Amino acid sequence: MSEEFDDDEMLAAEYAIGLLPADEMEAARRRALSDPVFSARIAEWQAVLSEIADFESVTPPVRAKTAIMHQLFPETARVSVWRRLGLWQALAGGAVAATFVLAFILWQPGPTDQAGPLYTAEIMSQAGDFRVVAVVDKIRNEVILTRTAGAAPEGRILQVWAHGPDEPAQSVGLWPDGESIRLRLPPEIAMVQGTLTLGVSEEPIGGSVTGSPSGRVFGTVDIPNVSDSI
Amino acid sequence: MRGSEDDTHKSAGAELEELISRCALGDRKAFDALYDATSAKLYAICVRILGTNAAAEDAMQDTYIKIWNNAAQYSVTGHSPMTWLITNARNTSIDRLRARREDSDLADHGDVSTGPRMTPEQSELSVSRAGRIKDCLSSLPDDRSDGIKAAYFDGYSYADLAERANVPLNTMRTSLRRGLTALWECMTQ
Repeated sequence: MSEEFDDDEMLAAEYAIGLLPADEMEAARRRALSDPVFSARIAEWQAVLSEIADFESVTPPVRAKTAIMHQLFPETARVSVWRRLGLWQALAGGAVAATFVLAFILWQPGPTDQAGPLYTAEIMSQAGDFRVVAVVDKIRNEVILTRTAGAAPEGRILQVWAHGPDEPAQSVGLWPDGESIRLRLPPEIAMVQGTLTLGVSEEPIGGSVTGSPSGRVFGTVDIPNVSDSI
Repeated sequence: MRGSEDDTHKSAGAELEELISRCALGDRKAFDALYDATSAKLYAICVRILGTNAAAEDAMQDTYIKIWNNAAQYSVTGHSPMTWLITNARNTSIDRLRARREDSDLADHGDVSTGPRMTPEQSELSVSRAGRIKDCLSSLPDDRSDGIKAAYFDGYSYADLAERANVPLNTMRTSLRRGLTALWECMTQ
């Protein structure tokens, strides 16, 4: 909160509470997107107000959780339809993590047992300010990542994460600097068959100390149908 | 990471923060655990705003779907995990309440402000003020504290409140602005 209760402080409070007519609410919302000081004031009022919303817990009916899980994670048979719908919505709504996934068959000279699939995918932040192209190389069980937009903030580094279906995310490795990096997939990630999820976050130098992302997660991408053989 | 809360508070907050960041990576088990840890708190808010009915359940479902979909934006909001979760539940419920009233005068609250992260100094200021809002609200004249609560929990704008109290809009606005100024003064003392 500011040192002085000025007009902006009042506007931030009125916006957080919802006292204003529609056009003024919308104007304040737009301003918050580009004005960090104003946005921080709104966040503070939201934090203060959230304390009066501290009611006695009420256990929701079990069906509520079932419905949420069903809506977010429909059973396998419906996954492809849902994914397509999800992708369409993402593109129509301004793109969450654009998923352009192509599986190439890599024909290499040499013994045939060295041939394996190669998957490419793009990780993109919702705001579009950060983009990484990832290539998963199942011959060598490596991932090669290249930044095409954005970077870690000053004094921070990037960290790459991955997980298989219903598995907890784990660190693939740190990406301290440079446009590109090649990382060996950890054994658990190399074993994933099916949908492999990759993500990138920004972390303190040395990486997240919690074992999970602690900074901003720029985005994730699901690579479907990953397997070791062509 | 965010201010100097006491140890128990910090560990519960840090745990929720970790669950949200794992949700951002598409970790379903983390989402499951986050739901189990927070749904009774968030459902209580939906019930307060919408009553015990299907609408409150629907609002809670929408809230968790937004939480899953927006988990990657969480870390840039500068909020503590509970503030982010509560504000999501409150805004989603208020939007439904207004839709039910067919009130076209008010815009959706939409998603919780995704402004940039607060500096640690700012966060510490918030923490030092934590817990004071209830005392400060009750120090206001009843009509002002009731007005602020009715706006926050029942989705009433200045215009709605003026109509309900049968007073001119300017009178209501001036009164509540005095209330907000007094509230701010109490909290920054």
